[in-house]
Amino acid sequence: MRRNWFLLCCLGMTALLVRSAIAQDQAKSQKSANASVAALPAAAHPAGTHDGAVPSPDTDAAFKERMARLEGEKRFRTNCGRCHQPPHKFPPRVMATAIRHMRVRAMITDEDMRLILKYLTE
Amino acid sequence: MTRWCLLLRSADLGCRKLLVWTAFAFLLTPATFAQAPVDDASPVPLLTGSAGFITGFTGGQPDLHPIVTPLVLVPIGQRWLFETRATFENDLVEVPGRPGFHGGPVQKEVEYAQLDFIANPYVTITVGRFLTPFGIFNERLYPVWIRNLQADPLILPIGIGPSNASTGAMVRGGFRAHPEFNVNYTIYFSALSTTTPVDSDRFAGGRAGVFVTRARLEIGGSFQHLMQQERSNLFGFHAIWQPVALPLDIRAEYAHSKRGSGYWIEPAYKLSQLPFLRNEMRHTQLVARYQQFFTGELPSDALPPVNTKEFEAGLNYYFIDGLKASGNYGRQFSSLGNLNVWSMGLTYRFVVPLGHAGEAR
Repeated sequence: MRRNWFLLCCLGMTALLVRSAIAQDQAKSQKSANASVAALPAAAHPAGTHDGAVPSPDTDAAFKERMARLEGEKRFRTNCGRCHQPPHKFPPRVMATAIRHMRVRAMITDEDMRLILKYLTE
Repeated sequence: MTRWCLLLRSADLGCRKLLVWTAFAFLLTPATFAQAPVDDASPVPLLTGSAGFITGFTGGQPDLHPIVTPLVLVPIGQRWLFETRATFENDLVEVPGRPGFHGGPVQKEVEYAQLDFIANPYVTITVGRFLTPFGIFNERLYPVWIRNLQADPLILPIGIGPSNASTGAMVRGGFRAHPEFNVNYTIYFSALSTTTPVDSDRFAGGRAGVFVTRARLEIGGSFQHLMQQERSNLFGFHAIWQPVALPLDIRAEYAHSKRGSGYWIEPAYKLSQLPFLRNEMRHTQLVARYQQFFTGELPSDALPPVNTKEFEAGLNYYFIDGLKASGNYGRQFSSLGNLNVWSMGLTYRFVVPLGHAGEAR
């Protein structure tokens, strides 16, 4: 009888966990979608030259940074999605280990590894 | 519900422990991602892996299969990585004359334990016990949270040795050979080991592949020379294609040996393009697999004894990152009799940092 209660509690907790994880996931997707929308105007005019002003080194660096992130995302989808569902972002130190593992296991290239790590940790 | 209670009541102590550990692994992960104070990008040791509960019906015979596969990753310095994976699993089956499901002791196995040295962008050296890189399934698609269909392909035992792993050394790498494609390669040698469960055959082999980035197509081939018993050559081919325009994923493999040959092809389509129930559909994947096996000149315990073909179709639902429910139906045709093969399961990939994880930005 006690065992049944214990199993029931386990099942209940698992269901609760799955529900909360799904809710978190939805909140996260919403947040990232909002962030993408907010970033769109900046990406469309990377050098801020509506009025013909010369781009400053800062904006140029930011543009390069953004392009590196876009490239990182592309490599992430292409490489990770070949074998499994592309994972969500993990904390940087976790990602650094996981990507080193994939460097060995999936033989992703050194360049891909760096771009993906940059995309996933920044 | 009564059946589940009966099942769990009748399970052996070892099986119950495994079930509790499986539940524990499901519960463990999210709490460990509490914000850590360190903001550093140096790699941290990880406990990752998967847990799953797979229910199968083969020819009407039910089989419950709880499995936990922890993987420990220990990065050392800038260029080293120690990785080891173990499996704890059990098969619970019905025993005539006894109610419920029964299994023997939990099967425990260290699948591999290897030390990797990333020498330069082109070369990584691995020593120890490693998954045999013949084809792609054993090395890249084997974990329950990755595979699209839970049953192993019929040709999986070809070329991977008696316990799916080799004992020896391997040189491998992946690099951009041209702006349009990457090349990856593996060359390995395995020594004979007769100690169960870390047994391995004496062979040498290699695998090479080309990944065309624009087309998202990877094709490759594997070769192996067995340096014992019949001293034969084995070879195989593999392909993975993900068309850019569709959420489609096609994988295929062919393998040939003196003990048998065969192929499988597996398309998987995510329903994200359907115009209704978008949120649900983007988590849903349809998958199918067709495979054929042809017996060889020599017999093998691990391979089917007669020519066999099988078709399977199923559905996967991804609740969140790493948590997947799957169900599939298959029909196996052979001269020994045709069988229905059903399978249902829940799998989860967990990631637990063994130290400060750093703060997600």
